[in-house]
Amino acid sequence: MTPENGSASEKWNLRLYTAGQSPKSLAALDNLKRVCEQHLPGRYSIEVIDLLKNPRLAKDDQIVAIPTLVRKLPEPLRRIVGDLSDTERTLVGLQLTQIK
Amino acid sequence: MPGKDTMEPISADFEKELQALREKLEEAEDVRRAITRGEVDAFVVGPGGSGRVLLLANAYQRYRQLVERMSQGAVTATANGHILFANQRFSEMLGVPLAQLYTAPLESYVTVSDRARLSAFLMVSARDSQIEVELNRRDGSSIPVRLSLASFADGYASLLVTDQRPLQWPSVAVDALDSIRSSLGKLNQSLAGDAAGRDALSAIGEEINGLARMIDEMVDVEGSAERKGSL
Repeated sequence: MTPENGSASEKWNLRLYTAGQSPKSLAALDNLKRVCEQHLPGRYSIEVIDLLKNPRLAKDDQIVAIPTLVRKLPEPLRRIVGDLSDTERTLVGLQLTQIK
Repeated sequence: MPGKDTMEPISADFEKELQALREKLEEAEDVRRAITRGEVDAFVVGPGGSGRVLLLANAYQRYRQLVERMSQGAVTATANGHILFANQRFSEMLGVPLAQLYTAPLESYVTVSDRARLSAFLMVSARDSQIEVELNRRDGSSIPVRLSLASFADGYASLLVTDQRPLQWPSVAVDALDSIRSSLGKLNQSLAGDAAGRDALSAIGEEINGLARMIDEMVDVEGSAERKGSL
């Protein structure tokens, strides 16, 4: 099956905003990696933006809470706030629900 | 008055604006949900989301444990030298309970001759700078330490305090070495007529001497030759 947005071969570009090694940031990266490996193997890239090092980058995607995941590609842009511990919600947020 | 069936159709612009508002509401609801579920531990504050990152207290837990358990002392002080935070190791260095350290002037634990240098160090707070001073312990003794500026933010200096005393053999190791020496001495006497046995004993003694020298080099201890030579 294919995702709602984009073809099965389309590259997914994900950006995760973190705050150093805060527990929720680490959990979000761990959960994101697991979801991607399961649902998007070989066709995703994760860019981690540490806002403790450069808080100004928060402006780009209007980040207010951390961690926040932003799906840059495929469009449209999607944003999920939190540590991604709710896998079902993460899949819905990324519009990956149709991939099995 | 016009009835429902006579209402103006919704314009495309209005529909677009409505959709944008719906999306903003969804985003705000998503943030609220993540907060109430405890899924976030930091916030970006400031105009236009371009300001600072504030961490919730529990986000510091990992660093706090690290700082509390490290072998160096750690102190955060104001520019005029009042202690706002100290770790357990710093408390042990001074022999002063942690509770007494908070808000105390750091200079009160530094020897009088080093106080002016400490004040200058805290005022300038040049990154990567460090000074060596002597700390006064509660028992009247003193410890040479190196103060290194780890960070300086919001008017507070975070310092690493490194004990400059040379490492020493732990007393338990010295006792063990003495015990081995005593046993070897007794064995040597009992092997008076056994040349082969004494040779073997001598070889064991040399091995132990070599081991002791290795440890000495690791801990950089002076004046321990008498321990090694007597085996």
